[in-house]
Formats: sequence, structure tokens, C-alpha cells
Amino acid sequence: MLVKRRSTDASRGGLASFARDVSAKPVDRRSFLRTAGLSVGGLAAFSAIGAGTVRRAEAGNTDFSQPIEVRTNICTHCSVGCTVKAEVQNGVWVGQEPAWDSPINRGTHCAKGASVREVVHGDRRLKYPMKKEGGQWVRISWDQAIDEIGDKMLDIREKSGADSAYLLGSAKMSNEGAYLFRKFAAFWGTNNVDHQARICHSTTVAGVANTWGYGAMTNSYNDIRNSKTIIFMGSNAAEAHPVSLQHILTGKEVNRANVIVIDPRFTRTAAHATDFIRMRPGTDIAIIWGIMWHIFENNWQNQDYIDSRVWGMDQVREEVKNYGPEEVERITGISGDELRRVAETFATKGPSTFIWCMGGTQHTVGTANVRAYCNLLLATGNVGSNGSGANIFRGHCNVQGATDFGLDIGSLPCYYGLSEGGWKHWSRVWDVDYDYFVSRFDEVPAKGGRDARDSKGNMEMAGIPSTRWFDATTLDVEEVDQRDNIKAMIVFGHGGNTVPRMGDSLKGMNALDLLVVADPHPTTFAALHDRTENTYLLPISTQFECEGSRTASNRSVQWGQKIVDPIFESDNDYAVIYRLSEKLGFAEQMFKPYEMVEGKFSVEPTPESILREINRGGWSTGYTGQSPERLKAHMANQDKFDLVTLRAAADVEGVGGDYYGLPWPCWGTPEFKHPGTHILYNPNIAVKDGGGAFRPRFGVDREGETLLAEGSYPVGSEIQDGYPQFTYGVLQTLGWDGDLTADELAVIQRIGGNDPEAMAAVSWSLDLSGGIQRVAIEHGCIPFGNGKARAVAWNLPDPIPVHREPIYSPRPDLVADYPTPVDGRQFRVPNVGHSVQASAIERKLSESFPIVLTSGRLVEYEGGGEETRSNPWLAELQQDMFVEINPADADARGVTDGGWVWVYGPENESKVRVKAMVTERVAAGVAFMPFHFAGWFQGVDQRGNYPEGTDPIVLGESVNAVTSYGYDPVTGMHEGKVTLCQIATA
Amino acid sequence: MARMKFLCDADRCIECNACVTACKNEHEVPWGINRRRVVTINDGLPGERSVSMACMHCTDAPCAAVCPVDCFYTTEDAVVLHSKDTCIGCGYCFYACPFGAPQYPKVGNFGTRGKMDKCTYCAGGPEADMTEAEYVKYGSNRLAEGKLPLCAEMCSTKALLAGDGDIIAEIYKERVVTRGYGSGAWGWRTAYGDAITV
Amino acid sequence: MKNLAQRLLAVLGLVMALAFVAAPAVQAQQVNPTAQAVSEEQLFQALQDDEMVSGRVSIPDDRASGLIKPGNKSWAGTHNGTVRFLTIASIIGAVGMLALFYMVRGRIRIDGKMSGIRILRFTAVERFAHWLMAGSFVVLALTGINLVLGRILILPWLGEGAFSTMTVWGKLAHNYVGPAFMLGLVLSFLVWVSHNIPDKVDAQWIAQGGGLLKKGVHPPAKKFNAGQKIIFWSTTIGGVALSVTGFMLLFPAIAGAQADWQFYQLVHGLVAAGLSFIIIAHIYIGSIGMEGAFDAMGKGDVDLNWAKEHHSMWVDEVQANQAEKITPAKGAQPAE
Repeated sequence: MLVKRRSTDASRGGLASFARDVSAKPVDRRSFLRTAGLSVGGLAAFSAIGAGTVRRAEAGNTDFSQPIEVRTNICTHCSVGCTVKAEVQNGVWVGQEPAWDSPINRGTHCAKGASVREVVHGDRRLKYPMKKEGGQWVRISWDQAIDEIGDKMLDIREKSGADSAYLLGSAKMSNEGAYLFRKFAAFWGTNNVDHQARICHSTTVAGVANTWGYGAMTNSYNDIRNSKTIIFMGSNAAEAHPVSLQHILTGKEVNRANVIVIDPRFTRTAAHATDFIRMRPGTDIAIIWGIMWHIFENNWQNQDYIDSRVWGMDQVREEVKNYGPEEVERITGISGDELRRVAETFATKGPSTFIWCMGGTQHTVGTANVRAYCNLLLATGNVGSNGSGANIFRGHCNVQGATDFGLDIGSLPCYYGLSEGGWKHWSRVWDVDYDYFVSRFDEVPAKGGRDARDSKGNMEMAGIPSTRWFDATTLDVEEVDQRDNIKAMIVFGHGGNTVPRMGDSLKGMNALDLLVVADPHPTTFAALHDRTENTYLLPISTQFECEGSRTASNRSVQWGQKIVDPIFESDNDYAVIYRLSEKLGFAEQMFKPYEMVEGKFSVEPTPESILREINRGGWSTGYTGQSPERLKAHMANQDKFDLVTLRAAADVEGVGGDYYGLPWPCWGTPEFKHPGTHILYNPNIAVKDGGGAFRPRFGVDREGETLLAEGSYPVGSEIQDGYPQFTYGVLQTLGWDGDLTADELAVIQRIGGNDPEAMAAVSWSLDLSGGIQRVAIEHGCIPFGNGKARAVAWNLPDPIPVHREPIYSPRPDLVADYPTPVDGRQFRVPNVGHSVQASAIERKLSESFPIVLTSGRLVEYEGGGEETRSNPWLAELQQDMFVEINPADADARGVTDGGWVWVYGPENESKVRVKAMVTERVAAGVAFMPFHFAGWFQGVDQRGNYPEGTDPIVLGESVNAVTSYGYDPVTGMHEGKVTLCQIATA
Repeated sequence: MARMKFLCDADRCIECNACVTACKNEHEVPWGINRRRVVTINDGLPGERSVSMACMHCTDAPCAAVCPVDCFYTTEDAVVLHSKDTCIGCGYCFYACPFGAPQYPKVGNFGTRGKMDKCTYCAGGPEADMTEAEYVKYGSNRLAEGKLPLCAEMCSTKALLAGDGDIIAEIYKERVVTRGYGSGAWGWRTAYGDAITV
Repeated sequence: MKNLAQRLLAVLGLVMALAFVAAPAVQAQQVNPTAQAVSEEQLFQALQDDEMVSGRVSIPDDRASGLIKPGNKSWAGTHNGTVRFLTIASIIGAVGMLALFYMVRGRIRIDGKMSGIRILRFTAVERFAHWLMAGSFVVLALTGINLVLGRILILPWLGEGAFSTMTVWGKLAHNYVGPAFMLGLVLSFLVWVSHNIPDKVDAQWIAQGGGLLKKGVHPPAKKFNAGQKIIFWSTTIGGVALSVTGFMLLFPAIAGAQADWQFYQLVHGLVAAGLSFIIIAHIYIGSIGMEGAFDAMGKGDVDLNWAKEHHSMWVDEVQANQAEKITPAKGAQPAE
């Protein structure tokens, strides 16, 4: 019943509170009767609503005498993609009903999904545009906001260059919104565009794509019902993806499956495992190689699979020899017997699937971890079939879609990268001159001994990751590999407390010339700093207040209907991006392909027309078959899709034969009616039924060995062996070019500029007609080729993963043997991880900070937590930020359960004040903190920094105020899962 | 008629709290009133199991037996409801309830607990079905619409079952046989006087 | 043979040595959380009498962490059973016994007639303390008994709405009059404790049945006879018990956990039942049961004959005190 926190003393009662309670009540008759709670008969007049009723008078309840509209949308929290059924009356969302028909959630939710209605009631949402004037938050109009922001951005562009504006997008945007935002960045002229995937699964995408072609979940949550062995490593799905457990636990029960959880904590997922193995944070590779050691030792690997579909496993075998049971136990503390048991189970009791999440990805060796997981799957033949696969559970509701549409410093939409070919492809799709884009990018002068680069060179160079933006703001300009420092942060839907080194982030925020937060809530980006001006808040509506599609973790694309109009003065992403681009002068060219309609404050593009453009250009990833019509038909016919196969029966009208949500790749044009691909790389079914193979992205041979599949090909393939990707030239060689229609050929000719050689090079991913894809599939072939997965990724810093200790390691002895890579420079900024690690060893930090600190999720909150901590139904369930500490560590420090403690981080004398939860969930020497909290900073309550009425109900310290330096060299991923700390009573 | 019961399959419950927020959502339950809650036994240790708990709608409900003003009544579906108009806020039902179901809006000094509130099995109260008056006091009446309690309908893993006692007992038994383990139908012996044997 | 034995021993030794060396330092057992899951059956078996199966909840309300406490049903049984029964029994028992006594013994009259002379028995302070306590007690008893018995006795004919209203007001009265009772109890104790210490006179009084059973029997007594001392101490001890438990029931946050509340409530109800029994008898004897008794508390002074019959030693004390104060010349002395 307390909204504001009180100290523990008060909450335990005691005479002080008794006195307070009694004296606080006025003693007049009215209040006397009110507290009596009388409401009988004639005395009902005195009855207080508060005592007896449950409902706020102003909330809408359902009037059963009036019609009720039902609208369907998708939960905006995690990537499982549960359907939300909304009952709407008079424009008010009055109730939620279970969405029984969805094969993904079958009517169910977790705490967050069951409470989403509150999100649009939005007590604490940002209601209107605001700016800081003289340190105070002042309400302004949209016109003024766009005007001033635009002017400032142009000013910064003039003085410092386009690269000085950092465009931080969101995993909460719809596909159309994310795509538009990426397009906006291209028109603005920068690759400094990123989103939450950076801090979530960026290492996954890099690791997985570099192994077998695409960076996404290979199977689906539903398919796990087929698994006989499941490993969760660094995944606490019970809290992060609760509804996935519906499929997993049912599968576990029916199949009597083995559920193996390998985690530093005894998580809620571990509570349902059949085998729990505790690991030291940051030792994944040693464990996986330790498992592989037993597999190879006992010949449990699937040699046929390796021979036909994997390249380089022998080299991996060699490396694995260094990870015998003794060495692995030395590094990880896990015995050989345990790993042998896991190895035998995983390899021989399949089909087996491997599930990982942040526990594996958020490390300096994140990419290497992922590559190791992939190798384990490949060695045991567990990719590309039912019940197997790399089941990567992604984070936010559309992080998959936002990743797919290129909110990524290193790529344009649909993974075309930043090469000239990619830019030219999108120039064609967007019908804008390629040279125009070249002209939009900065020229970068030589600096710090590094070469200069021209606009073209700059547009082909990856930007700065979101984990380093503040370094790019505060470091000396010579150190930053672009024209000037970051001067402006334009943050569309990203929290400010989910990236480590918040102390440095704070410095960055204070140093900016312009800070714009476009979000339903102000976020830490509004509250953490001491800025007094040039700081703007734009109220953006949630996905419940607009239409659009979002891609769930299993690659299913689901269309969300607008439930209610944007509340207060909020507006959707499409409109706001339009207005900004209009102010910045490129709206006409950028928005010309779309159908523009009258929106709330301006015209805006329809999401359908944006999706159609995506369909016209997303060939590389198979985003071309998911037309708005097909997607809407899927949502209307959810009940027709099988629970396990996700496929509708062939004879069903409209959606017959489709896989639910047309998971990409959905090849060809919508008219081609490819059913989507439920399970990636699956040669057991025909390509036209969703089958596939590994993608030969890395050439056709290496070191004298072929990189194409040998003796493995999709069912019904006319080419019964491996083959490279399809181009027009390949079609010509095969004599299939005659199958192309005249129109299709014309398009290829246009792309090839009528030059035979250029035409021959037009590939399945550049062909805007879709003809090459169609023809290939009609001959049973997969357009991207039939290759081998790479066990060795020679282009990565560690081609074969090796164990490396975290930057802040509790084991100096192991750091000597397994150090982090030498200092270098990635993504325009220096990466001095090695120096930091060495310094930590020298200063013996593992002694003064003896506890390993890891972080993770709670089921009640999502991401940075600003939205969920503003929802009273969720906030009530987790009212305090806390640290999990083992009883032995607690006793040694005099820490009691529920008592206050300081947690000290290893850098910059950082510290946070939190409650202690004494539990054996964590081992001695390990502590855990959730990362969802913000609003306190180093012991100071910052509630007053939020604009009035927008502060979340629950505030707390951010774990990232004490986390530390450490970046994966491949993606810039931070090391949020392992650092060192000390804990003491407060 | 169906005899309505709740059954929480603790071997499926992952403490996701969907049942808790679904109830809050459906009935606009205010802060501080916890009609449903999830309790975790052996938290953090192997053996940990979570149970979602609210009013069990007992046979021979002890709350009803001790109420000084007899404000409880049992419907044809065996749902135990009460009248907030009659309730005097004495707190005896909380003393008697083995499950801690009764909730009060205030701390209770000088007996000022306010009107007792508890899980209604989404069956409203004595007011006319599906009216605003009923909603304001008791929350929504899903049973009158032919639906089941929202907590069970939205349970992420289908751990919380609600419906006719025989049917859900059958479902639970089948599960236990299929998977080979079951930590019990928590609260059944206490609430209904029978336990499910497999 | 010897060689073989030696060899066997050597092999055995080697095997054992190897086993010793080869045995891993940490023989980790498989942790199978599914197999180790707690079960309700197992936890119930481990439960002692009044314990609760409990765990952890994330909400701050500690009470919510209790999952199942089967023992609460026995509180309900005790409340509905024992407490209710004893309350009824005490009332009916008291009324019944007194009715019987009245039928057999009738009203206890003053044997001599009223003398017409008054003697001051209780001062204004004493009467105030008594009536504060007594008046509160009556209100508390009635409203309290309503909470225990009202549902079966009154509700059927009053109807739900009116009964609820009445009971709400009754509960409020009970809660707010309680402190008044406590004050009266303290005052009464302070003014009368010195007169209520038991002594030999009380033993003799009791041996003669207090004169209640036979006409004409008037054992000596001081200000308070043994019967009254029993009333005094019952009221004091019972009243304190009721006050303490009542206070706890008024402030549940201080009182502790649910188990504490149940305990206080049962004690409160049982003591109330017992004390009601005693007080009914006290009210009887102080009103219709004995001629002239009511004046003591009603007016403050009583008839001298009444006083001599029932509290002869007290009369002597008072008159001795008065005699010391009266000068020989003043006032007429009645002729003997």
C-alpha cells in the first residue's frame, strides 16, 4: 500500500509508526466514519470508495450493453511475440482477453504481457514535447521541438559533420519504423546508427552468421517440443522468455527430455532442469571445449554430418585437445565427469538443441562463445532438423526485426553490409541516386597516424557502437576515427542505464551539444545528467498505438493492429521521422515511395506501404514474400497453424501451407507464395516447403578444400551436391535462364546495365524481380547456395575460439595463460582492454574486489525498466533494487537479508546502494544484480530530475554504474556479465 | 453443476507472475491488495518450487464459518464469495484462512481494516452480474460470461489450472503420469479435503 | 603359491593405489533439480503443530510469504467451537444458576429492618472508577458477544443489512470503549487494591458460605468480603488479560504475526466468556440479588443495618474513625 519507499524500520511497525498512523489521521467525524468503512443502507453516503471498492473511478470498465471491438497486437516486451487481444470501447482499451489462437502463446502471457493494458493508460508516460530551459523542464509544441532540434542538428552537421550526430534507434520499433530509421540515417549521411542488439545479441549475429550464413534463431520456441536434450547456457528463459517455457516444459514432459542448465546462478530455469551445473562467469569456451573433448575422445560426434556439411572441424579438434578435463577443471571448477555426462547426453540422446542468451553474449569473448556453441552443434549434427538447432532467444519484441532492417553500425537493411554493392542495391530500391548518398557522408581527414578517407570510404566504414558513444564524445578528437567527436545523441527508444560505465556515460551526456530523447518515457537519458539546455523530450507512442509488423525471435513476422490512438500528445515513429526529415530537407526523396495519409499532427506514411518497399528490396534475407496482406491473413487465421510444425494445412484458404508468420527467408515475391522457413538450413524438406542448406558466404574453397556441401542437399534438389550462390550467370550455365519471364529478365538487364558480365554477376540478392530466386526454387535449389558451415572463421580475431579471461578476472593466474587480446582499435575508437586487464592484475584488484559480479533479468521488468517500473501492477512486485549475495559472503561482512549494502565497482570509485538478498542462488564469491533499475545514482535519489509526473514508480541504482570496461573486438559488445566488486554494509 | 477449483502445478510454475498481474489488470486491483501471489519454497536451492496462491474456494470454507456477520456465500459452482456491504472488516476471515487469501486496504489499527477483498474466482459478487456496480466493488465477472478466471487462462506455462475440479484433477494426473513426477496439488487436502493420487 | 600370493598382493596394492590416485578430488554428484523438487506431502509431514509452509515472495508484505497453514482451520474450529460454546455456557450457566439460586434462596433481605441511618461506603472517585469500568464492560461484553454469537442469535431475525450495520457500530464501540475500560480498571485497582488483600477473615467467610446459603448467617467481613475479593481479582486479572490482548488486536502491526493474533483472539474470547460469567453473578448480587446492595454504588452510602450484616468489621473501623473525630458534646447520643 505504500507507493513511496520507506525504510525497513518503518515497514516493520513499531511504536513510531503506530504513533505516526494515529496522529496522521484527522479526527473529524467524516474521516472517522470513512475509516470505519461503513457502506450499509442509509449510511452508504458516508462510505469511502477507497475502503470498499477495487477500481479507480476513471478507468474504463466494460459496458456490456455496448459493442466491444476486439483488436489484435503483439506484446511489446520480449521476443517471444505473444499475441495480445484487446477489447476496446469508445477508443478506450478496457480489457485484455487470452489470445487462444496464437500458436506461439495460446492465450498466455507473463507478468508483463498480462499487464500491457496499463501501458496506454500511461499515468507516467511522457505526455507532450519538452525541453530543458535553464535547467527546468518546460512544455513545448511539436512544431517548436522539431524546428529547434532540426536547426541544431544542421548546425552540428555544418560545424562537425554528419557523423557527429549519433542516431540510436530501438528494438521496440516496428519493422517499418526500424527500416525507416535506417533509411533516415542513410539520408542524413552517417553509419552511427545502432540499437539494443548491440548490447544483446550482436555477438550472436556475428558469431552465427560467420559460421553458417545468417545470424538468427535456427528453429523456434515451438520446435523445442521435439527436442530430447536441451542445454541452457547463459539463458534464464524462465525469467527472460517465460512463455517459451510453455513449449519447453511440455516437450520436457512428453519426451522425458534432458534439460541441462549451465549457469553461474541456480536460476528459476535451473529449478526445472534435470541437470544443473554451476559455472564461473566468463568460462564458456573452456566448458564447451571441455564437452567437445569428451565427444571426440569417445567418438560421439556425427562424422557423416561433419564430412558433408562442415568445414574445418579437424582444426577445431586440434584446439580442443588443449582443453582436457584437468585444464578445464582448473579454469572452470567443473569436473570432467560432469562434462562427460553432458557430452554423452547431448551427442547421443538427440535431437539436441542449444539455447543461449545474454549469459553467453555479453563478454569480451562473446563472438567466440557463440562460435563455440555453434561448433558443438555442428560436431553433433544438431543444426537443420526438428528438435535441434541454435535456439537463440532474442531480447526485445522487435530486436530481430530491427537487426534485420539494419539499425546496425555495420550494415544497411537486410544485411547487405556497407559495401558499394549494398549501397547501390538500396539506391535502386529507394530510387535515389547512389551518388547522392556518397555526397551525404563526411570526408574524414588523416589523424592519429591513420589514413584519411573520402566520403565513399566513410560510407563503407562501420560506425561507432552504442556501447562506446560516450567515449566518442569525451575522448580527444584525434582518437576518434571520424571528422569530429559525437556532439548530438538522438535517442529513439533506448535506455540509458543498460550500457556499462554509467559514470563515463554521464560525462558524455553532459558534454553533448544536443540530446534528444524520443520515447514513451523520459528514461535515464533525461534524468541522469546535469544538462540545463539543448535537451529535448519527444513523446513517442508505443506499438499498441500504431500499426506495423514485428519479427519475433523465431523469425515469424506478426502484424499488430492499432489498439488505441496515441495518447496525450504522443505520436508514432513514422510521423516523427517524417517531420524530422522534412525539417532536415530530404523528406521528399525519402518518403516518395510511400502512401502518405493524414496523421495526428502531420502526414505520415502507412506502414503497409513501407512494408511493400521492404518486400521490394529485402531479397538477401527473404523479407520479400511477407506482404501486408499475407501477414494480416495470418493474424486472422492464427488457429489454423499447427502447434509444433507451425504450418497450416495445405487446403486452408488463404494461408494454406504457410508457416506461421512467414518466418524469413520467405523467398520470392508475395505472389510466389513461399511458405516461409520454420527451420533454417534444413535439407530434410524441399526448399519450396521451407527447406534449406548452409550458406556458402565465404567463398567456394579454402586451403584446397571445398566450402560447398558434399553429398548433402535439400530434398528434391535438381543439383545433388553443394553449389555456390545463384546468379544470372549460374542460371545461364545451368540452362535455366530460359525459365525467367521477360519482365524478370528486363529487371536483371537494367541492374546489370546491359553489360553481359555485370548481368551475369546479378545475384539472387540483387535481383529486384525475384526471378532468380523463383527459378532456383522451382528447380529445388536454395538461392543462396548449398555450402558447408565453417568451424573455423578465419576472418575473426580468434578463428577458432580460445578461452580468454575477462578483463576483471578473479584468477590472475589464469590471466597470465589466457589474456584478453592486445589493445587495438575497432569501430573508430580505441579498445584498450588488454591494458585495463593488466592494470587490474598489477593493482591486485581481485583481492580488493574479491566478488565476481554478474547481471541479468527479472521477469517483472524489461530492458532499462523505465516503462515497466512505471506500471504499478509490475512495480509492486519488485520494489527495490537488490544484490544477490551468498550466505557465506554475507556472514563474513555482517550483511543481513533485506539490509542495505554498498556494492563497489572496480573503476572510478563507483558504488551503488542496494538491498541485499542473501541467497544460495549465487555461489560464494559471486554476486548478481538485475539491470532494470535506474533513478538513483551512487546513493543519490534522482527522482526530481524527471519531468513532473513521469518519474517511474520504482527507482533504484543501476548495476551499470559499477560495471566496467571490456569490449568484444568483433562487435563492440560490452562485458556486462562479469566484473569484480566488493560489498559492504551500508 | 461444475465444482470450481484451482490447481497450481508447481512443476510447471516458473514464478512469472502473469497470474498476479492478469488479476490486477482484469479487476483493477489497487496497490497493496494481493488477491493472488506466487510463493517460492526453497528459493535458490535445488528443489525450489513456486506455487501461485489465492483463495482456494474451499469446501466448508473456514472464513465463512467464522465471519461474525455471515457475509460469505457459496455459489452453485462452489465459488466462495462475500458481500462487501455486509463485511465489517474485523479480520477473522484472515485468521481462519489457511492460505492467506483475505486482503484489507488498511493496516488495521483500531480495527480500521476496511472491507475485506479477495479473489472472487472472477465471479464478481452479490451485485447483479456484469454491471458497473459489481465491477466497482468486486471486479469483473468472467464466469457470468462463460469464461474462466483470467489468472489461469493467462498462465504462461499452463501451470495454474482453473475449472471443474474433476477435469483439472484429471489433467494434472495425466501430466504426472506422462512425465513421471509431481510435487502435489498444493492446498487441495486443506481446501477440499482430498488429495490427488496418481 | 607364495609367489602367486605375493603377486596378487602386489596387484591388489597397485589397484588400490591407482584407485586412490585416480579418484578425482571432486566427485561431483549430478544435481537434478527436477528430481529434488519439494512436494507438499513432504513439507506437510515435516510441519509441526502450528507451523506454516512458507517461502519467499517478492512483494514487501511478509505475511504473503506464508503459503499454507493448515492450523488456521483449527483456530476457526476453536473459535466457532470452544469459544462459542463457552460463551453460551457462561451466559446460560450464569443466568441459569442465578435463577435457580433465586428460586431457592430468594432475595437476600436485610434481617433487621432498614435502620434509616446511612453510612458512606464508596466515595465519588470509587463510584466513578467502578461505573466507568462497569459501564464499559457492559458495552464491551454485549458488543463482543455479538461478534461471537450474533450471527446465530440475532442475524436470523434482524436481517443481513441491519445486522451488519449494528455489528459495525458495535465493533467500533468495542474498539473505542476498550480504552475507557482500561482506564476504569486502572483506577479501580488503584483505589481498592489495598482493601482486597486476602486474609484469615476471608477464610472464615468462605467457610460460612458467605451467608448466602442460609438466612441469618452473617460472617464478619471488612470493606470487601471474600466473594468481593474474588470479583476484584478476577476482574483485575481478567481485565488485564482482556486489555493486553485487546490492545494487541487493536494494533496488529505491533502484535506480530498471524499466529500471535490468533492466540490473542482466543485468549480474549475465552477470558471474556469466563469474566462475563463472574460479572453476571456480580451484577445479580449487586442489584436484585441483595436488598440494599445497589445503594453502595448507586448513591455511595448504604443503610447501617445492611452494612453491619454484611461488612461488620468495616463498620467498626469506620465508626472508630468517626468517633475519633466527633467531640463528646456534639450531637445527641441515641439512648441505648
